[in-house]
Amino acid sequence: MRIPCPYCGPRDTHEFVCRGETDTNRPDNDEAFYDYVYLRDNPIGSVREHWYHAQGCRNWLTVTRDSQTHEISEAVLAKDAAR
Amino acid sequence: MVEGAELVPMLGMGIAAVMARRGADMTHLAALLGISAMPVARALKAGSGEIIIGTGPEMWLVISPDAAPDWGESLAERLAGVASVSDQSGGYALYSLRGAKARQLLQKGAFIDLHPDAFGRGSAATTVIAHAGVILWQTEEEAPAFELALFRSFQASLEHWFTVALAAMAAAD
Ligand SMILES: [Zn+2]
Repeated sequence: MRIPCPYCGPRDTHEFVCRGETDTNRPDNDEAFYDYVYLRDNPIGSVREHWYHAQGCRNWLTVTRDSQTHEISEAVLAKDAAR
Repeated sequence: MVEGAELVPMLGMGIAAVMARRGADMTHLAALLGISAMPVARALKAGSGEIIIGTGPEMWLVISPDAAPDWGESLAERLAGVASVSDQSGGYALYSLRGAKARQLLQKGAFIDLHPDAFGRGSAATTVIAHAGVILWQTEEEAPAFELALFRSFQASLEHWFTVALAAMAAAD
């Protein structure tokens, strides 16, 4: 699988670290922490994930990926996606 | 030119990581470094001899040949208010990789496309060689001549990779 980094261009996944889905927020209580750490929806189809380009431009990306085909429809800098 | 390839350490250079301050004017930053525009995934040489390499969004590595011990501080003063400067002269090691087969040899270690159409003169990339992170760029010189920076503690690993890859390439010829 190759991830199209908006700065570096297409790069092998092993240059990246996957942080998981983007739409979970760190909970502020201990009870919710188990779910936050261990439970994932794992849907079929389009997912939005954070990937860190550790061995490249050292930036966080927001990647939209199909969990069945691994096709990536979008990869943007997370700081731009957050704006 | 060397027939195969050679890996030569470049010593005595000043090295600094430069990050633009939020909302900084890129044209102004470029002017302070003596270049017309800040490079994106490219390396270019200023009139001063300093090399400016784009390593990430609004991030650069700046290299100065024959740098005085206070070069990092003076660069920080020069860019004050526009960019943050972190002296990396003791953190990175620099190498020149050149020779007729330099590109072929480099492709044995790096996963990025090094075809001259994809990675030519002035191209730069931050990537991995033999599991070690490197900042790699092709100089403006004639013939394949590359330079690379990596964290100093990975020097032995890079030199080992080079020795083995060169021997494997020679054996295959
Ligand atoms: Zn990148």
